[in-house]
Order: sequence, then structure tokens, then C-alpha cells
Amino acid sequence: MQIFTQLLFSGIALGMIYAVIAFGYQLTFATSDTLNFGQGDALMLGALVGLTLVNLGVNYWLMIPLVCLFGAAQGAFVERIGVRPAIKIKSEFGWIMSTIALGIIFKNVAENVWGRDDLKFPSPLPESPMHFLGANVLPMEILVVVGAVLMMLAVEIFNRKSIYGKAVVATFNDRDAAKLMGINTGLVITFSYALSSTTAAFAGVLIAPLTLTGATMGAVLGLKAFAVAIIGGLTSGMGIIVGGIILGVAETTTGFYLSTGYKDVPGLVLLLIVLAVKPAGLFGKSAIKKV
Amino acid sequence: MKPSKWALAGLGVLALVLFPVATTNPYYIHLLETIMIYAIVLFGLDIVVGYTGQVSLGHAGLFGIGAYTAGVLVTKLGVPLLVALIAAIGVTALFGALLALPALRVTGPYLAMVTLAFGTIIQILINEMSFLTEGPMGIKLSKPPLLGHKLDEQEFFWLVVFVLIASLVFVHRVLRSHLGRAFEALRGSPVASDCMGVSVYRYKVYAFVISAGLAGLAGSLYAYSEQYISPNTYNFELTVLFLLAIIMGGRKTRTGALLGAAIIVMLPKLLDDIELFRIVAVTFAVLIAVGSGIQVARGKTTVVKTSIPVVGGIALAALSFVLTTMTDWRLSVFGVITLFVVYFLQDGIVGFVRTTFNIEGHASAEAEETRALTVGGAALQHPSGGTTPELLVASNVLMQFGGLKALNNVDLRVKRGSIHGLIGPNGSGKSTMMNVLTGIYVPTAGSIVFEDKSVVGRTPSDIALSGIARTFQNVQLFGEMTALQNVLVGLHHTFVSNLVDVALHTPRYKRDRDQSAARAHALLSIVGLSDLAGEEARNLPYGKQRLLEIARALALNPQLLLLDEPAAGLTAPDIKELVTIIQKIRAEGITIILIEHHMDVVMAICDTVTVLDFGQKIAEGTPAAVKSDPKVIEAYLGGDAASLSPA
Repeated sequence: MQIFTQLLFSGIALGMIYAVIAFGYQLTFATSDTLNFGQGDALMLGALVGLTLVNLGVNYWLMIPLVCLFGAAQGAFVERIGVRPAIKIKSEFGWIMSTIALGIIFKNVAENVWGRDDLKFPSPLPESPMHFLGANVLPMEILVVVGAVLMMLAVEIFNRKSIYGKAVVATFNDRDAAKLMGINTGLVITFSYALSSTTAAFAGVLIAPLTLTGATMGAVLGLKAFAVAIIGGLTSGMGIIVGGIILGVAETTTGFYLSTGYKDVPGLVLLLIVLAVKPAGLFGKSAIKKV
Repeated sequence: MKPSKWALAGLGVLALVLFPVATTNPYYIHLLETIMIYAIVLFGLDIVVGYTGQVSLGHAGLFGIGAYTAGVLVTKLGVPLLVALIAAIGVTALFGALLALPALRVTGPYLAMVTLAFGTIIQILINEMSFLTEGPMGIKLSKPPLLGHKLDEQEFFWLVVFVLIASLVFVHRVLRSHLGRAFEALRGSPVASDCMGVSVYRYKVYAFVISAGLAGLAGSLYAYSEQYISPNTYNFELTVLFLLAIIMGGRKTRTGALLGAAIIVMLPKLLDDIELFRIVAVTFAVLIAVGSGIQVARGKTTVVKTSIPVVGGIALAALSFVLTTMTDWRLSVFGVITLFVVYFLQDGIVGFVRTTFNIEGHASAEAEETRALTVGGAALQHPSGGTTPELLVASNVLMQFGGLKALNNVDLRVKRGSIHGLIGPNGSGKSTMMNVLTGIYVPTAGSIVFEDKSVVGRTPSDIALSGIARTFQNVQLFGEMTALQNVLVGLHHTFVSNLVDVALHTPRYKRDRDQSAARAHALLSIVGLSDLAGEEARNLPYGKQRLLEIARALALNPQLLLLDEPAAGLTAPDIKELVTIIQKIRAEGITIILIEHHMDVVMAICDTVTVLDFGQKIAEGTPAAVKSDPKVIEAYLGGDAASLSPA
């Protein structure tokens, strides 16, 4: 039981990271019906840039806003180069391939800049675990959960309360109508990509002290976060938190009881099953197709 | 094919066969062998990507399954070559079907992610199931014996050549047959495919299974060719390379697949050799500049549009002189090439060459070649069927979307052989009725009986095959296919030949093919589109597109034809022609339900008219009676108009 509580705690921390990345998918999907297939690489870049800043002597807490700024720039870049031309020519294949291509380029650049080996990210909090309900909890894990929730709350409040957020919501509801009402939907889409990569980069510096940092850390995280986005539904905020926790716990328990080699399998299988049975996700609403 | 093409193909094969005799350098033999093996994967991948238009990121995984099926069977059970190849095809095809299951429900980005997840799972399983696959250690193999004789490097090369040609012929024949048309139709318009009796569901599975089988075959050859297989080969990078090869070579052409395979095998070698890379980059830049120049001169594109690829090409050439080594930047180069191809070379190299030199595709040539064929029977077939006076009886149909009742307890009785008008203001539920009748929507309540059989709950393709054909309010043609091919998709149900017939071109398949082509031409001439048989549907003017939809629907041999606003957007002379065509169709005994806003058309040709308003039936009767019904006038013109008008 004690072991299980332990697995549950680390599962929740991991799940919240997935939820934040999945939240990034939701942001761009909401405004433009597109996803960044290189979301995992945005996270990886955030973590590595953060590491460099920390090594340069920047304080961890001061580094976070800088990394977020970097993430925003990176996201805007992806949108301008990879997504905008595809939206213009209405090519779904186009943006899928170009965001994949950009992801590959980012990964390759990271390999050449930071090397191919995984690096240790210094933890800003004490690394001695705290005892809670008979299990060990790392202070960093608590920071991950709190940080993830705060990040999502901040974006939600922005969307609901500010006039800029309303533009985002309007674009989500009807892109053409929003455009006719004088909203620069192109800018909104760019902004959503910037925001999306910001959350990914933020997730990167949150999780980096718990795992190792390296050029290859992004790919699987991005894929599993997509699984979370699908399980929770691409339109449901509550769904991704639940989905993230389900996946995170499934993963830590599989890793412990079966083998760490298999830890990625349950999430991916869950993704296949959900898509085969209920493509709109557990919390999503299915759309009515019009002919 | 033209004799010149045959000669060219023969020369190519001869060159391939003689290659290992001309050079004894095993490095080059192996390189060419790899290109051929990749080409087999790409033939399969093109079916999914080029024809059905789905992005698959799982083909490296399928390729790996093929390799490991052969590897495991050979090392654990010592099975002979042929058994290993066939088992690899079978097992991989099975996985393809498994992959198609979730893929059936989703498209686009979802499908891409599903296939990516699938590929990742396969790689993990190969890594972890050491008892079977030896895990990260990999499996060592030797060149296999065939008929008691152990193949050497050269002989195995010939085996690969043979398999390549066999796969090429197979894929080519499948894609040029009704199966290939079905795959292409899925991409053009899934809804229309279903309503033409081509089940999107079934043909997506077929496409994935055939595609996976080819990947498996290639995988098993790869295992023998490399003589060593390990899990890391079948990764994300390989899957992206496969996709890059397809779009760069050119979708929907076999030449493109061969070209793409050559590029992705040669490119890494090229990047290892910076000197050679510089030469190629410069040549490439010059070729783009010249090609773009020709296209601009012929007025096919503008200077502004071509400037980016030209500048990009020159920049790449310049970059190659700055860097001293390219090996570490290999993936970035692939990424940049992918971006470039996606935006500036959408039709691939083959497409670019075709546009530049005005080479006609096979489809329009096909339309000309088959023109002389004669029809066995009449183009329009008199529907055989029951004798009940009412062909279709819908009672108390309720269609609810959330709180909105798009159809509220509507009854509809359609008499056999009549033209039944369905009119009403916008948003009154006419098109919803069409969608309910054809199975696109399942009604919330109520019954629909067609020919004494219930329609409710059956799939659209099943309903279509039972004799209900339709056109669409917003035209749903298969845009990239010719007018003739569009009609041929409608004739899909007349094909009795199976995959083997298609692969071997048996007399049964040839008979099917010629008869359907002749019927398709005849149907086109009924709607007056004979001369445009070879034109791509998306290039037809709007009015002609509507007529083409009618011809396609007639190909189903329907008993009941649903026309959804066929006159919308047509000019006055076109409408006159349309009325003649509709009357001709009715004369053949085909029952018609006509939704239309042009009242003159409705009044002139309908026997009975039903009027809907806000999802409810407000009037029904002869055109004259309906026209003077005060409720109808009120619905169309508002309450005041009704009291003013003396009717």
C-alpha cells in the first residue's frame, strides 16, 4: 500500500506535466484546428535553454519567465514558418508535415548545440524527500503540480476575463465570423502558438530537475501528452487533468510492477483504444457533421 | 501503354539485372538493393498517403514487423525463404488491419498520431520482447537458400529485382482498377463515396492491409539484405523519411516512389561527402532556376511565387560551401527539404516535371482510349423491383440535434415512378430529410421503409447499394479524378472481380473494366458531358459539376434518385437542359425526389409536392394545389402576404 501511494504521488506529478503539454495542444487546436507535432521539442528546447541560463548563474525562479519568453518566440516562429502557409492553402497534410519537420530540425539543432548526452538539471528545491501519508514526496514534485495548475489557471483567466482572451474564444467559435468582426485571426493564431509553446517550455523547466535533460526528451513526452489530450478530449480543460493523472499513474505503476521498458505502452494503448471507441475523448463533445 | 514506354521500362529492367554483373563492388550492389526495398515500402505507403490521403507515421513500424517476422522465423524455426516472405506479408497485413481499426474512426492529425503511437509501441515491443526478438542485441541472419541453392550477393539482388517488379505490377494494376478508384474517392469526398456504395470503412481497411503487406514484404527482404536487424532502425526518423520520399518523388506515381526511394537512400551518403554535396546542391539550384524559368515563361506561375524556392536552392548551395561537415546536420537538412517540398513541390518531382513539360496524366488518356467501347445494354437501366405502389414510406420521422427538431414527425410517401417535389424555405429540413433517407443521419425516432425494407440504422453505403442514389446541395465530386472516373466510382458495384483478378488481369476483370468504361461514357453522354470525360472534375464549370453528380448517381442503377437543389446556380438554358434530363430519367422508370428552390421547375415537372417549414410538413398535394395553399404562401412570404394575396 505504501508503495502504491508512492507510485500514485509520482504518477500525479508526471500526469500534471502531461496535462500542461496537452493544454498546449488544446490552445492551438482551439484557434486554428491545428496541432504542433513538435510540441515535445518545444518542451525540450525550453528545458535546455533553462539549463544554459541556470549554468550561466541565473537564478531558477528568474530563469522561468525568460524561458517562457523564449517559448513564446519559438511558438510564433513555428506558426509563421510551418502553420500559416498550410492554413492559407488549406492543406492538412501541409501543417502536419511541416510541424514534424520543424520538430526534427529543433531536435537536431539541440543535439548539435547541447550534445547527444542527457544532462543533469540542478534542482532549485531540496532533494531530500518529505514524508506524507507514509510515502516519500519530493518538494519538486509538489512544485510541478502547483506550477502546472497555476499555469493553466492563468491562461484560463486570461481567456475569460481579458478582451484579448475574448478574441481567442471568438476565433475558436467561428474563425470567419471573428475575422468579419475585425479580429485579426491570423494574429490570434500566432498568439495561440506562442502561448502553447510557452506552456510547453514552462513544463520543460518544471520537469527537468526530476528527470534528465537532453535532445531526445521531447518526442515521447509530446506523444503521450497527445494521448492525454485525446483521452480528455481536445476541448475539455477538466478532461486533460483527469486524463493526465490516469496516464501518469498508469505509467508509474506499469514501470514498477512490469518493467520500466514497458512504461510508455499503457498510455499509447489507451490512446488507440479511446480513438477506436470514442474519438471525441472521454470529456469531449462529438461534432455533428454537415453535408 | 505506348510502345515507347514499354521499351523504356524494358531497358530499365535490363539495366537493373545487368547491374551486379557490371560492377562487382558489393557496396553499390547493396545500395541499389536498399533503394529497391524502400521502393516496395513506398509503393504501399503511396496507397495510404497518395490515394486515400491519410498521413501514416506507422510504416517504419510495419516495415520492422516484416523484418522481425522473417528474422524470428528463420532463426527460431529455420523456415525457408519463400515461407518467410509470405509469413512476413501475412503477419504485417494483420497488423495493418489492427492499425486500421482505430484509424477507421479518425482522420487527419488524429490518424497521424495514432499511427505514430502504433509505431512507437512496435519499437518498444521489439526492444522488450527479448525472448522472441533478442531485444537490443538484434538478430543475425545469412543470405537464404532458394530451391536448395544458397543465394550469393548477386543472386539475392536478382531476387529483389524480381520482387520489386512483381510488386510494381501488382500495385500499378490495383491502383488503376476499381479498387484504386475507391481509394482515391475516399480522399476526394468520404460522404460521396459512402453514398455511391463504396464503403469508406471497408476500403480504408483494404488500403491499410495492402499497404502493410507490402511494407512487410519489403521488411523481410531488408532483413536478408542487411543480414542483421536491430530495433533502432525502425524509428520515427525512418517513418518521416518514407513520407518525405513519397511527397518528394511525387504522390500517385510509381516513378515518384522509385525516385523518392533513391533520394532517401542516397542523400545520407551524399551528406557524408561534402565535396559531392556541393556539386549536387549547385546542380539542384540550377535545375530549380531553369525549371521555374520555364514555368514562368509558359505563364503557369508568377515570378514572386517561384522566387522563394529559387532563392532557397541558391542559399542551400551557398551553405554547402560554408560548412565543413554535414553529417551532424543530416536531420536538419531532411527537415528543411521536407518544409521545402511541402510548400513548393506539392506534386513532387514527377508532378513538377509533368507541369513543366505539359505531360498529360494517364487518367485523361484513359478517357480517350475507352471512348470507342460500346455498351452491352442500355446506359440507364430500368429498375427492376417490387410492385407496391409506394416505393418509399417514411412515417413520423423525428430528427433531433440537441434541442432543435430539424424534422418533427414528418410523413413522406413517394409513389413509384413519380417525381416528388420537396420544397420549403431555407432551414425547413429538406436537406436533413435527404441525409436521413440516405443514412448519413440516423433519425431519433420514426420509420423509413424502402422497397419493404427498413432503412433506419443501415450504413449509407448499404442503403446506396439497395437502390437510393443522391446528389448533394454543395457539390461533392471527387475533385482530382476525371469526369469519367467519377462516374466509374458510381459503377463500382458492377465489378465482380476480386484482388486476384485485378492483379492477374483475368478475363473476368477485363470484361468488368471494359463494360463499366463503356457504361460510364454512355452515362456521360446522357447528361451531355461526353466531350469532357477526360477533364478533372474540379476543373469543370459549376453547372457541369452538378450534371456530373447526376450521371454519377445514375451509375448506381438506382430505383430512387434524390436530387438536392440540382438547379441552384445554373443559368436559364442550363436549367432547361436539366429539366429534359430529369424527364428522361423518369421515363426510364426511376423515381425521383427533387429538392428545389426554382418554383417554375418544381411546378413544371413534379407529380406531387411536399412542403416543409420548421421541420414540419405543412402541405402536400399536386403542384397547383400546393401553390394556392395559404399556409405555403405564409411560410414563403410571411403572414401579411398571405392575407393580401387572394391565392
